[in-house]
Amino acid sequence: MGYVAVKGGTNAIEASIKRLKYERLKGEEIIEINTILSSMRSMVDQVMSESSLYSPYLAALAIKQAEGSMEEAVFLMRAHRSTLPRLYYSQTVESEEMLVERRISASFKDIPGGQLLGATKDYTHRLLDFDLIEENAEGNQQWLDDYLKELETIEAAESVTYFPKVVDYLREEGLFENYEADNTPPTDITKQSLHFPASRSARLQVLTRGQTGAVTSLGYASLRGYGQVHPTVGEVRVGSLPIYVSHPNEAEQNMEDEFYIGDITITEVESFVPVTVKNENNEQELEFEIGYGVCYGQNETKAIAMSILDQCLEDPESNFPTHDEEFVLLHIDSVESTGFMSHLKLPHYVTFQSKLDSVRQVKKGGHINED
Amino acid sequence: MKRRRRTEILIQGDPLLAENLAESIITTYECQEIIPPQYGLTMVKMRESAKNSLFYIGEVLVTEAKVEIKGNLGIGIVAGIQEELAKYLAIIDAAYKADLPETVEWEPRLLEAERNITRERAKKQAELFETKVDFQTMDV
Repeated sequence: MGYVAVKGGTNAIEASIKRLKYERLKGEEIIEINTILSSMRSMVDQVMSESSLYSPYLAALAIKQAEGSMEEAVFLMRAHRSTLPRLYYSQTVESEEMLVERRISASFKDIPGGQLLGATKDYTHRLLDFDLIEENAEGNQQWLDDYLKELETIEAAESVTYFPKVVDYLREEGLFENYEADNTPPTDITKQSLHFPASRSARLQVLTRGQTGAVTSLGYASLRGYGQVHPTVGEVRVGSLPIYVSHPNEAEQNMEDEFYIGDITITEVESFVPVTVKNENNEQELEFEIGYGVCYGQNETKAIAMSILDQCLEDPESNFPTHDEEFVLLHIDSVESTGFMSHLKLPHYVTFQSKLDSVRQVKKGGHINED
Repeated sequence: MKRRRRTEILIQGDPLLAENLAESIITTYECQEIIPPQYGLTMVKMRESAKNSLFYIGEVLVTEAKVEIKGNLGIGIVAGIQEELAKYLAIIDAAYKADLPETVEWEPRLLEAERNITRERAKKQAELFETKVDFQTMDV
């Protein structure tokens, strides 16, 4: 059985693409890139995270072009990324340098530096706000003026505060294992295809760019019993991190001669997971391990779910699918999973005809031709 | 002033400062454009806090430009789509490389801008501290 080449769809495809444009334009409304940037923050963050490309502007453009389809926007961003040269690798980003906008702990009430709620939907009523239908620029400006006036009275400190990590205090107390800095160069899954068993760096890279829904679902499955990880969130922090690159040609590499290129906003989570280990006397003992989650932008659900999956994958002996790295890592990528689903729409005429022929034979009382 | 500190000031502060400093060089010296502003990527390497190891969180879109002054190559790199700023940063970098006398005069302006950045950040942070939780333990 061979493949049959078909043609004749060109005109229909051209008409379909025109139709697609018509669907986007027929409402006769234009959404500006800046409108998306200002009012669709979470969507922009999600697209940047899943596409693994930090550029709010391009993410907003992708959302506009994709008419709000997340999978399409991520696909567009990944495709665009593949056309750009990789000019630099950053110096190692350490999250202690984060300028924190939000930071909470579910493990301790009193954390050094305090709990900072920042901007969060966590405490809002999930009721539709019908006032937004009548929202207008004047009303919004008035609200902004009033709010900024309220803030004027707040006195600032002389310097900026950088928050210590909750986990560092617990490490100092000896409650968590202290790991020496491991400077093994990371695997880059955009340059090398994923091999199993995957390195920790490859796992984290796949998880952080995973589709939010997929990462959340698998993390949730683990919590519900299809896994052995039920953590307590040690710390969730959202804030901006500075990025530095070294000079490409200067022989002498000095930290002071690096380039600062800008900040990225990220969400970072450390989850504390109780595990049972055997001590020197072969007795079972309770210990804590840390699950790590991080993603571009503010997406706390994804980062928490990632921290669960990170810990699951650190324990591959368990029989649950959420502990199987092939199962997790090969199924959470947005472009790969939606692309594969999408391919099912492509012509499968020959393969399906073959299956139909087999079924017809059986119905007629014949036998399936094994050849 | 070293590159790390000055690029922080020029990128985080008022973009007009980079423009003004670069313009003062353009009007006096020959600035040869080696690479006009181009878009590219920077892969971000990060340290995770569970096992203290390194991994790549993803790429950042950057604009890069290269300019030569008196045989000294200056590089401007900035996150995002910022062609003008990348060019100004490259000119300023080349000016420092060439040890031009103007760079000495820039020092007080850069230091003033740095103070403003810190003041603004500290103010914004103080505003955010309004959302800090003041836990009170209840008597039961």
